[in-house]
Amino acid sequence: MNSKSVYKIPNGKLLKISLDYNDENKKILDLRITGDFFAYPEESIEIIEKKLVGAPLNEKTLKDKIDNVIRENKIEFIGLDTDGLVSGILMCLK
Amino acid sequence: MSEKWRYLITEGNSAAKNMAIDRAVLIANSESTVPPTVRFYNWFPPAISIGYFQSLKEEVDLLECEKSGVDYVRRITGGGAVFHEKELTYSIVIPEFHSEISKNIMESYRRICGAIIKGLKQLGINSEYVPINDIISEGKKISGNAQTRKLKTVLQHGTVILDVDVDKMFSVLRVPNEKIKDKMISDVKQRVTSIKHILGKEITFLDAAVAMKKGFEEEFDIELVKGFLTGYELNLTRKFEKECFGARDWNFKR
Repeated sequence: MNSKSVYKIPNGKLLKISLDYNDENKKILDLRITGDFFAYPEESIEIIEKKLVGAPLNEKTLKDKIDNVIRENKIEFIGLDTDGLVSGILMCLK
Repeated sequence: MSEKWRYLITEGNSAAKNMAIDRAVLIANSESTVPPTVRFYNWFPPAISIGYFQSLKEEVDLLECEKSGVDYVRRITGGGAVFHEKELTYSIVIPEFHSEISKNIMESYRRICGAIIKGLKQLGINSEYVPINDIISEGKKISGNAQTRKLKTVLQHGTVILDVDVDKMFSVLRVPNEKIKDKMISDVKQRVTSIKHILGKEITFLDAAVAMKKGFEEEFDIELVKGFLTGYELNLTRKFEKECFGARDWNFKR
């Protein structure tokens, strides 16, 4: 199933998510994170996209997975945060 | 004695070449072959640059660009889509460990924007930095800025709006919802200003460059010495122009 969301991060930038997911088991098949935010290093967004493939669409798992990638890769976001990313992804289900 | 940095003025380049030069200077500076560098430039033809994380197809009306001769390019910096027409664009490239550059990214934005604010002051314009990446004057945006850090080197580039045609800007930018396009245009007209609007007269690119040069010299207590791209930088520029910023793969990658 393909779905999109547009989400203004509180005190941040505009996040656009394009999601392809399995409607039966509610797992991510593919994910594209775009927007006018900043991330250091820039490659980190592609890493997050890859790491979330196969992840179940529930708040806690997504949050943990993203926080792990951020820690492992020393990622710094500006105008974006983990909660915003999770909200943007889950909004695609509505 | 104050430190000497290099400054460059390059006028009339395409979008791909402008972004290639910024990246070439970043590489050269990371290898310590050139000093910290401030460049002032403009865009010909007019162009849209999009942030690294944006989707070209979503942000830009490509057919309209072709029709009206507007160029487009993906930047290596994050941030939003910008229509570059009547503006002075600056870039600064400096080692991340330079004593004038904070490790803290937001703090370094503020500092570099400080140079632009001092430059605007030279022109008689009061302005202030508004996080995350804007400079405003009389409550409206007059400059947008974007920074990346690669190879232990900071690149920040940004606009100083000389004049703005919001209707033209929206003819080439795509909006999420056509129904509210008119509302968005009037919102942006409320939110964006220009040097021409504030001073009530046009100033040239070169006049703005002189003012911004002084702004950088004051903010960083340095002397900017006029220079040129080195042979190495010119070679890198050609390479990046061809392989990256002028290539479909790069511009359409997201």
